[in-house]
Order: sequence, then C-alpha cells, then structure tokens
Amino acid sequence: MALEDYKADMERCSQCSYCKWIPFDQVKSWRFAKGCPSIAYNNFLSYSARGRYAVALSLLNGQSTYSDRVVDIVYKCTTCGSCDVSDKICRYNLEPLEMIHELKFRLVEDGQVLPQHTALIEHLRKENNMMEKPAAGRGDWAEGLDIKRVPGESAEVLFHAGCRFSYDEELQETARTAVTILKNAGVDIGIMGENEPCCGGRAYDMGYKEEFTRLAENTIKAWTAAGVKTVVTPCADCYHAFNRLYPPLGAKFEILHTVQYYDRLIKEGKLKFSKTVPMRVTYHDPCHLGRRGEPYVPWEGKEKKIKNQIVIYEPKKPRYNGAWGVYDPPRDVLKSIPGIELVEMERIREYAWCCGAGGGTRETYPDFSNWTATERIEEAKATGAEAIVSACPWCEMNFKDAINTSGDKMKVFDVTNLVKQAI
Amino acid sequence: MALAKEAYRELEEVVGKEYISDDPALLDCYRYPLSHTAIHIGPYYRVYTPRGAAVLLPGSAEEVQGIVKVCNKYKVKFKPSSTFWSAWGFPLEDDTIQLDMRRMDKILEIDDKNNYAVVEPHVIGATLQAEAMKVGLNTHIHGPGASCSCLASATALGGLGPDTLYMGHHNENLLGVEWVMPDGEILKIGSVGSGLGWFCCDGPGPSLKGLVRGMVGTNGAMGVFTKCAIKLYPWPGPATLPVEGKPPAYKAVLPDNLRAYTLGFPSWKAWADSCYMIFDSGIGYVAHRQFNMFGRDLKGAMVRILSDPTRTLSDIEELLKDPEVQKMTEDMKRDYQIVLAGMTPGDIEWQDKALDKILEETGGWKVKAMLEPDLFNWSLLYMIRLGHKNLNLVFGGGYDGCFGLGGTPDFGTSGEPARVEQVTAFKVEWEKKGNVVACGGDGMMGGIGGMGGGGHSLWENFTHFDPADKASTEGTFEFFNATAKYGAEKGLGPGMEKMNDYARWTDGYTTPKEIRDRILGSAAQPEAFRYQRKFKETFNPNDLGDGYYRTLDDPDE
Amino acid sequence: MALKDELAGIVGSECVSDDPEALDAYSKDLSFVKPVKPRLIIKPGSADEVQAIVRWANQTATPLVPVSSGPPRFRGDTVPSVPGAVIVDMSGMKKIMRIDRRNRVAMIEPGVTYTELQPELAKEGLRLTTPLLPRAGKSVVASLLEREPTLIPRQLWASLDPLRCNEIIWGDGNKLVTGDAGNWTSMEDAWERKQAPAGATGPGQADFYRFVSAAQGSMGIVTWASVKCEILPAPHKLFIVPARKPDDLFDFTYRLLKFRFADELLLINNSSLAYILGDGPGGIKALMKELPPWVVLVGIAGRSILPEERVAYQEKDIADIAGKSGLKLESAVPGARGDDVLKALLSTSREPYWKLGYKAGYQDILFITTLNRTPEYIKTVKSVAEASGYPTSDIGVYVQPLHQGANVHCEFILPFDRDDSKEATGMQQLLTKASEKLIEQGAFFSRPYGIWADMAYKRDAQTTTVLKKLKGIFDPNNVMNPGKLCF
Repeated sequence: MALEDYKADMERCSQCSYCKWIPFDQVKSWRFAKGCPSIAYNNFLSYSARGRYAVALSLLNGQSTYSDRVVDIVYKCTTCGSCDVSDKICRYNLEPLEMIHELKFRLVEDGQVLPQHTALIEHLRKENNMMEKPAAGRGDWAEGLDIKRVPGESAEVLFHAGCRFSYDEELQETARTAVTILKNAGVDIGIMGENEPCCGGRAYDMGYKEEFTRLAENTIKAWTAAGVKTVVTPCADCYHAFNRLYPPLGAKFEILHTVQYYDRLIKEGKLKFSKTVPMRVTYHDPCHLGRRGEPYVPWEGKEKKIKNQIVIYEPKKPRYNGAWGVYDPPRDVLKSIPGIELVEMERIREYAWCCGAGGGTRETYPDFSNWTATERIEEAKATGAEAIVSACPWCEMNFKDAINTSGDKMKVFDVTNLVKQAI
Repeated sequence: MALAKEAYRELEEVVGKEYISDDPALLDCYRYPLSHTAIHIGPYYRVYTPRGAAVLLPGSAEEVQGIVKVCNKYKVKFKPSSTFWSAWGFPLEDDTIQLDMRRMDKILEIDDKNNYAVVEPHVIGATLQAEAMKVGLNTHIHGPGASCSCLASATALGGLGPDTLYMGHHNENLLGVEWVMPDGEILKIGSVGSGLGWFCCDGPGPSLKGLVRGMVGTNGAMGVFTKCAIKLYPWPGPATLPVEGKPPAYKAVLPDNLRAYTLGFPSWKAWADSCYMIFDSGIGYVAHRQFNMFGRDLKGAMVRILSDPTRTLSDIEELLKDPEVQKMTEDMKRDYQIVLAGMTPGDIEWQDKALDKILEETGGWKVKAMLEPDLFNWSLLYMIRLGHKNLNLVFGGGYDGCFGLGGTPDFGTSGEPARVEQVTAFKVEWEKKGNVVACGGDGMMGGIGGMGGGGHSLWENFTHFDPADKASTEGTFEFFNATAKYGAEKGLGPGMEKMNDYARWTDGYTTPKEIRDRILGSAAQPEAFRYQRKFKETFNPNDLGDGYYRTLDDPDE
Repeated sequence: MALKDELAGIVGSECVSDDPEALDAYSKDLSFVKPVKPRLIIKPGSADEVQAIVRWANQTATPLVPVSSGPPRFRGDTVPSVPGAVIVDMSGMKKIMRIDRRNRVAMIEPGVTYTELQPELAKEGLRLTTPLLPRAGKSVVASLLEREPTLIPRQLWASLDPLRCNEIIWGDGNKLVTGDAGNWTSMEDAWERKQAPAGATGPGQADFYRFVSAAQGSMGIVTWASVKCEILPAPHKLFIVPARKPDDLFDFTYRLLKFRFADELLLINNSSLAYILGDGPGGIKALMKELPPWVVLVGIAGRSILPEERVAYQEKDIADIAGKSGLKLESAVPGARGDDVLKALLSTSREPYWKLGYKAGYQDILFITTLNRTPEYIKTVKSVAEASGYPTSDIGVYVQPLHQGANVHCEFILPFDRDDSKEATGMQQLLTKASEKLIEQGAFFSRPYGIWADMAYKRDAQTTTVLKKLKGIFDPNNVMNPGKLCF
C-alpha cells in the first residue's frame, strides 16, 4: 500500500473526533477520557488521526508542502493505535493507523526526517539495535546463564529478549529472570545471544519501513535456518513485530509473549507459586501487546460496493479493532500470584492510555513522551495501587523515567518481576 | 489578503506562541470537506471550506476577549468552534481567525442539589455524563452524540437529542451563559451576571437568553460562548456504566429499573397515537427512532452487525437472507426505541405497565429480537451514552438528512398515504439510480419528543453516500435538489438538506447576497432576519462574524 | 384632530375612554410606586388595531402602557412612569382561538383570564397549571409573560413554560409570531397539516418571546399566545408534609424534584397557608397558630394512562421518601385538610384577593434563588422586620420550586394596613431595607419591579447596557411603558 491508496479514507473521514477519545461507552470520568496522547498534549487538531488524514490529503493535493510543523505533526505520534480502536466504533471502512504509518513512510522516503531518528537508524544499520550500543554486547545480559544458544544448539522455544532487555542494565535482570523461569518450568528454551537480531518494529513505527523489512527478512531467514518454531519474547514491541508485521513477509512461527507463556504454564500446573506478594497493583496494557497485538489474519482482496454505496471488501476483510489483543493472560498471571490485589485503571485493554514511548517519540520528543507517561502514572495512582505493572520494557522505562522526574513513589514492575517474587 | 504581521504578533501575545499557528498544512486540518455533509448543504465534491488565516487555542475567557479585541482592531473575522463536528464551525471567508476552544475543557461545577453543571466549551457529552452519573445525575446529550460539545449544543447550535423527551431541548436547559460578544465585551446572562450563581438564565427583566439562541444558535457567528450552566437530570443507575464486551459491540448490564425497548406498530396512525400517549403519560427517559438511520430494509442486519464484534459490513447481504433477521426487520418497520428509567421499583413497574397499556391500545409490540439480553444491553448502553452516533457515516462515509417532517407526530404520519410513506416512495425511486445507499427509502430518524415533555417528533430521512466517489456525491446533490423541490411542492416544510444554503454556497464560501436574500426573504417571517440584522449591527458593529447568522439585508419595509 | 378622535379612528369611539374615574384607577395601584395619571384608555379588539395604535404612538411620541389583567394590581408595572400615557387595555381581546386536545395546546388572546380558560379546557379534558391562586381577573398571557411561578415544577422544562408561541406587536409597530407558529405561512395550512403551536423557540436564531418576558410591557404587546396544557387530572390528591423548620423539608423536596415525582410541589409557612385558607383576619390569625410552622404541599395526580396506579405508587414512594427524612405524608394537619388545600390551589383566588384577606394591603418581596439558600433569606427578612417593628408572625413565606428544581421562586408576603400612614411608611422602609439586604445576600430579583429595578441593574452593568440597546431595536422611540426597568 502507498499513501495514495488511503486517499479515499482521507476523503471519507468526516471529522467526528472519535479518534481523540477512548470509546465513549468506556468513559468513566472527565479526567481519564482522552485516548490520543498526541492531540491531548499538542492540542491542534492536526495532532489527531483526523488531522493527519487532513495533512496527508493537503500534501497529496499539493495544497501545502513540507514544513517544520508538518514534520512535527507526523512524527509526534506514538502510533499507539488508540485512534484506530475508537474510530472503528463507528467506521468499518477506515484504517487510520495504517495511514499514519504510510504518512511516516512517505516522509522518510522524501527525506523529511528527524536527526534523532536518523542517528538511531544509522546505528541500527551498523550495530543491529535500537539502544545505540555495540552489537557485540547484545548477548551480555545472559552471561552466566545456563541456557542453550541458538543456532549452535537446538531448542523448542526461542527466547527473544529484544533490544531494551538486552542492553538496559536496569532491566537485564528481568530478561534473565524470564528465561530462567521458563527453563525451570521445563521449557526447552534457547537464546540467540549476540546473534539475536533487532525485530525492527520500532523502526517501522518511526517510519523506516525499508529498514524494518531488511531486519525482518534477516530475522525470518535466521530463525528458519535455526529451525525455530516458537518464539517467546518479554517485549511487547517485539511481540507485535513478530506477530503482526512478520507474517505478511512469509513468517510462520508461533509467537508468544512471556505473559502468555506464564499463563499457559500456570494453567498446566507447571508454574507454581509458593510465596505471597502482598501488593496492590494495577496493570498497564502495552499498546503493542494489547490493541496492536491482535493476531495477523491473511487477506488479499479489494474494495467493492453493495446496496449502491456501502463500502465493503471482497473477500471479507479482517477487522483489527483491538478486540482480540492479549489482555487476559497478564491479568490471569497477576491474579494467580498469592497476595496480589489487581485493581484496574479507567483506561484499560483496547482503550488503554499509551506509555508514551512508542513511534520514536521517546527519542525525539522527551517532554511529550514524559508527559504521556506521567498521565498514566496519575491514572495508576488514582486506583490506589502501589505499583504499576507492565509487560514491555519500553513502557517500564518510560514510567520509571517519568517517576524519577516527578519524584512519585509509584513502583514499576514487569509481570516477570512479580512472578519471580512469588516463586 | 493574509493576516497583517502586526495582528499576528498581537494575537500571539494574547495566547502565547505555543497556541497559535499559521502553518498551511495545519490550517488545512481546520477546513471541512464539503463532499461530506452532516452540514445540511451540498454535498459538493472535493470542495473545502476556506483556509483560515491562523488558528488559536485560547485558554480562558480573558484570552478570548483579547483575541476578539485584536480582531476588532484589525477588522479580521473570527470563527470559534469547540468540537468541529460539521461545516458550520468553519469559516465562510478566507483569512478568518479560527478559535479552537479545546483547551477550555473544564467542568467547573456540578451542583448535585440544584442539578446543574457549569462547563467550558470543550466539555463533551460523554465526559459530563460520566461525571454527572457519579452524583446520580445525567445530562442531555444532543443528536450528534457524546463526542460533541455540551456548550455548543446549548448555546450555539441545535440542542435536540434522543433524550429530549425527558431531559429537554438544550435551549431549555441553559441556565446561564458567559459570552464574549463580537465587540469584545463580556456579557454574563441571568443570575450569574449579577454575581449570584448560575441557577437562572432569565432576567433581570427581559431575558437576554433570547439573544443567545432560538431553536438553533448562531453557529459561532456572533462572538464566543466561554462558559455556560446546563440543567442536569436524575440518573437512577450506577455511578459508572458497567460496560462489558468487545469493541465495538459494547453492552451494559444495568439494574432492572433501566430498560430499553424497540417498539413496533401496525400502522403509522398507531405509531403517532403511541407518541401522544407517551407524552400524556410522562413515561420514558430516552425515546428516538434511532436505528432506522440505517434504513428500513437494513436496520435489522445492521443491529446484528453492530452488536457482534466479529461481524463487518461484508455480512450485510448474508444477514439479509436470514429469516430471523427478515422477521426482525419487518417487526421494526414502523418503530422507535425507548428507554424507561424508574426512580423507584414502583416507578419502573408503573412505567412498564403504562407502556404495555399504550401498546395494547395501539396494537403495538415490543420487538422480540431486541429483547434478547445481548441486544437489550447493547441498545440500552447505546441510547444512554449515545457513543456510537457517528454510525450515521458507517456505510460510505457521507450522510445527510433530507425532507422536513418535523412537527407534531401527526404531521409526518398523516396524509394518504402517510407522508412518511410518500417520501419513502420518492426516495426509493432515487435509490434506483445507484448514487445513494439503497436502504428501502425510509431512513427517517428523529426524536419522539423534540422538546421537554414531548410535543414534536423530528424526522429527517437519512441518505447515505460515498464522499470519495464523484458520481455518488454529485448524485446525492441532485437527489437533495429533488427532495427540496418535492418538499416545497408538498408543503412538507424546510428539509435538512438545504438548511444552510443561505450561508454557504457551492464553492464553500458565503452564499451570494441575492441568493441569500431570496432564501431568507422567502421564509415565513423575513422580519425575524431583519431584526437579526439589527442585532448584528448593534452587537457586532465591525461585522466580524459570518453568514451563518441569518440577516436579511433588504430595506426594512 | 384631537387625541381621542385619532384613537377612536383606530378602535372605534366606544373603545376609547377618558373617564376621570377610570383614568384615576389606572394612575396607581397597591404598590408604593408614585401615581401618574394617564391621558386615555384605549381598548383594542384585534392585533391589527394594536399594531395601528403602536404605529400611531411612534408617530406622536405617545407613551403606551399595556394592561391585560383586571384590578387590583400590585407591582407598579402598569402605573405610567411618565405623564401623557395611553393605557392599552387588552382585556377586551378575549378569544380562546383554539384548543387542541391531542397536542395539548390552547391559543388565547391576552384578555382571557384563568377563570375563563379553565372551564373551556376542562371540556376537552385539559387544564392549565396556574400560579398560586391567581386573582379572578388575572390574564393568563400576562401572568406567563411576567414569568409568574406556576405550581407543578416537574412540568417546567423551560423557564417560561407553559408559555409557547406568541404574536408580538413590537414597539416599532412590526408584528412577529414566535415559536413553531412563526414558521408557518398560514394557520389554516398548519391545521390542515396537523401542526400545532407547541414549540416556543425561534423563529430564526433568537428567542424573541424572551424579550417580552418580564418586560412590563416595555418591549411590545402580545396579541395572542399558545400555552401547553396538562391532562385534566383524575384522581388528584394533595398531601401535606409538616415540619418545624423549612430546612427539615429540603432533602425530601430535593428528592421529589430529582425524581420528578409529585405534581404540585411548594413549600409554604403557616402564615401563607392561613392567608390562603383562613376566613377573615380573625380566622386567619387563629389558623396561623393552629397550622404547622412549615409544610410542603404535595399534589399527586393520575392522568390518562393507568391513573389510579400512578397515584398509588407515587403516594407510597413519596411517603417512603418522606419517612427517610423523618417526615410524614399527611392527608390533613391541624388547621388544614389536603382536599381543601387542593381545592384552593386549583381555583382562582376568592375575593378579596388572598393576600388582602388579613389586612387591607400587602407588600411582597419576590426573587429567584436556590432552595438550599432560602433559610438565610428568611432570616434576613425576619430580622429586618423585627427591627422595623413589623410582627414577624405575619410574614408569609412561599417557596415555589421552578424549572424542575434548578431554582426556586422565593416570596415574602407582608400584609399591612395601607390606610395607616405609619404602617405604610414603616412598610416602605422595611421593603427597601430588606430588599437591599437580600440582593446583597444573593437574591436574584429577576422581575425587578419598582425599587428593585435600580438595585438589580446596578449589579449588572453589561446586562443593562445590552438591554438598553435591545430596547432601542424593538422600541426605538421608547413609546412602550417608558421609565420601567432600566429604560
């Protein structure tokens, strides 16, 4: 698809404003009713899905040209997909998130890029990670662990740590814990260590489709060569990339997030808890595991009209509306830990508020990113929870950074951390 | 002529650099595509409202006042909008200053004793309702739904909605207004003007509320409303809606004192009789012919699709073949939805009995399929929150209402055959041309009770088309020309389809004077628009609003 | 041509009067407003005649004072403020133009009184909710235009309900029909299409009828209006909920208002109730002592669909609600039976007017506020009365919830002997002092008669400015009751 392919969407968007809010049925308060961080922070209409449709159309029609403002509008989006869920409450034939990605791709193609992104991507090309660290250190996080190394050794399940878990010293322990828990539960698991590729998902969300494709193809090739069948990852971004973005490129692997694996093991009686973790916690749905974590459904077809002017697709097109993301497994895991009291925030599941780390905004718009995370922390605090738990290292870091800035007392955990405490 | 640099600088000083922009692409986000409607003109294929000179995001009434004063100084037109739902919130002329009111979004007060809320422009139906429900109250949500500004609905636009029967027209609910007038003066209307609180909008003496709005408001053409007080209504339900299910098919299992029914009737006479009996009995919390917006033939299938997260529009044709859906569609042919809300167990029991009695007397029925728990709970949530209202755009992306069957329930349903059937037959013929969705001709939707306590049923015939399709858009325009002509010949009254022709013309700009004068001059009482011209001359001396304010500029006599 | 002849040319000589006694009667009322004698009284019979009168007044710069209700009059609004005025007596326009049972609207001319209208409505199974015991000659249209409170708050969606469409002759001589009917080109066509003058707003983007509301005839003259009626209730019961203090009744009243339960709903003290029910000064005095200090009067009516069942469940539920506030729903209390009170509420006032039954004069103080704030105003009036030597036990209080409970009309009724100059002077001082204090406290004098006008407009300069401009549009030559309000 190209940006031009979304022109009809741009013309069919009627400016209903649903993209700015969580689904209205789910609004529980004035305070936590907003859905799109971009318009919530930046205010001008252009910073919403509707606005981006209008900007794209303006550019395509030659009514305006690239400006600093246009670049700002396009990139100051976390690609969290909140707009996509809310739009689809009423619209069955618009794909705003796809269009936003295409708009980013177009700007990258046209050289309208941000220096922070350029540096990241340059580094990614050279060093195979999004953390601006040397490629050689990617496997260091697992040093000393008695885990199989793929492709040298074969394992039924490949544990893919992802860039942030691999390099972020504060979070490496989580990755070590996760893989150990799985191994101890009897999973035949291995890691790729320094050979682990970057999933490319974050490059994709920044608009670097070509870079993503290169990485994805490499990964698929490497996994295929290693005989990988199942991949488990503790990173929501990686999960999304493997689950949703890879299949169209030919990938046919079973993809699981660690929370799904834990949930399966608990339900099979292979993972048992012996300790109480007395804590009131709330769970943050990472966008890439939740609304963007719906399974890929192959489809090839075209638009057609019935009853004169009803726009449908032939054959029936899958509808990604956030309904089928990974929402229950992390909650079930938390609920099964003795002592944990899980309380919900107002915006959860498909209409969860974004952590602010996505779409390249953390790297380029730290104030916006930090504000978005702070909003989530405020929401978590309103539940009376002492900790916010997530299943994504990017969310975790952004929350931690926001808390460090504000001096809040809220604790931040990955689900893995609490599972470990209970074993 | 672009905005003078000096003027831009002064505006920037008022709101701060962060809250003003004249970037062309950003300004294009503040243009409305007239190939859409929901604006009651056109549709005009690939025509857009004019580009503004700058967009500003004021944060307070004082800032709004500052902006308006600069506009007066430089004689620049300005146009405010809160939630930008349709074209009337967008300029009619180039180089207009646009005010996006979204930063003024606070609920300033909810008085749960005296039942009112004080709100800023960007408070929407969903947020006010959610906050009101926490204290056992509810707010009227007007027709366009929960996404729209409560203040705009109460002060500047329409104000009708499915709950108007119980919760009034928003005109009726307005208890006070803070108004930055077009000359930059701030007027506070009613008790708040005397610094005494927000409980009464009339007085001292003649009520200036009459200047704010009539049946409709001034569409952002006469200054900026920066705060208002809105009367609230009881909510005999939980503090938070217990929503469950997968999107978009959310449902709410609410206590037994809240019930949603779809009522069907054997004839239009019976339909109208039931409306009158409902008005007389005083039952009903929400009452609206809502799902018929998808059309008489399609609504059964659409209800099935919308209440099932696995379905898409591609299922329509298969569903239409389903005998159960066919039965449901037939049962719903002459229908409306009603929500009963009992304040006590005795109240709901009586209301439901009274409804049964009305059905017994009119030969009507509760549509059985809609009593299935999933559909019951889905429609209950739908009607209470009105959070799916933009489903009117679901088919092709464009819609507008046509034909004006507003007035008493008897008006639309009488005649031989009933007027609603006359217009249905007319539309069916046009559906055959292929440019609008073929839905069975009857897409008539509207409130059962267009004012508090009932009295009106307000009908527009929803017509769906594809704004991205030239033939569809232009064919729809032709159809609307035909419906307007038909309505005039048959004495149906002004239809929605041409409601704003007096203001905006085919190029997206102000309607040429001679056409505007002809339209307004042919109204039943052109005198009203001559008075409005005097209001404009008096309170908007530099003419900084726009043509949405209906002024007849011909000589008085 | 002499003035009288000019006007006789419009309305006919029999409808123009310069009878000194009649002129004298119109020169004053029972308020403290300074008497000013009008020049003539003219009694138009049609809207066309009214329009011609107003045009003539503009040409001759003659002040017009419209009057619709019969005497006695109390608030100075119909007393000319300037000399040389012509009284436009609308009481002759008495047609009940249409009663539409199905749409529950009636169209009436301004001379139609409650006494005349109710029986005609009853024939169609309808009635019109009224103010508290209007006097027999009270014009329905004038009462509604003056925003006088009516008794059934749950039916008041709009602040001007049950007033709907109006035909207005403005001060500039132009005619405009407001509301639904303003969108019709012909009444006959509208009836043919089964339309009804039910909606009040418009035409256009203004609510023109609001400009003539509480205007004391200073903007224009209404020549017909439509009103929204209720179904004639049956059964209809009235209950009394007694209490020692008004505050004790608030939770209960608020709950009923919120639930929109009950029909008639008003709070009233013993003195006011005694003025309504008592017979002569002695009877009233005795009744004041017998009656509970405060009551809420709760009417419950059944109408059309399952009426008995409605009354039964409301009676039970309202009793429960009362019980939760430690109150009781009574059919009778010492000194008053519900049936008698209901009968009184459903009627016009007996003669003399109920506020004049105790003493030969009265002064009322009325304003809008919210229910929860009424105790502080009661305290203020009592303390000013005490300081003035006025017997506080005579202070009648009437609190009428309006607009479905968003606000209340708060009224103090202060009987005094008009013929006793000392009492009269004392009352005038009390009125001024109490009004000043009340307005400072937050009372909203939304209908600022007499001395209240200056007090009210002083608080709101911008409203005053805008009102003056508006008056300039509709009455550019200031012929309509000049000198009233801020004009």
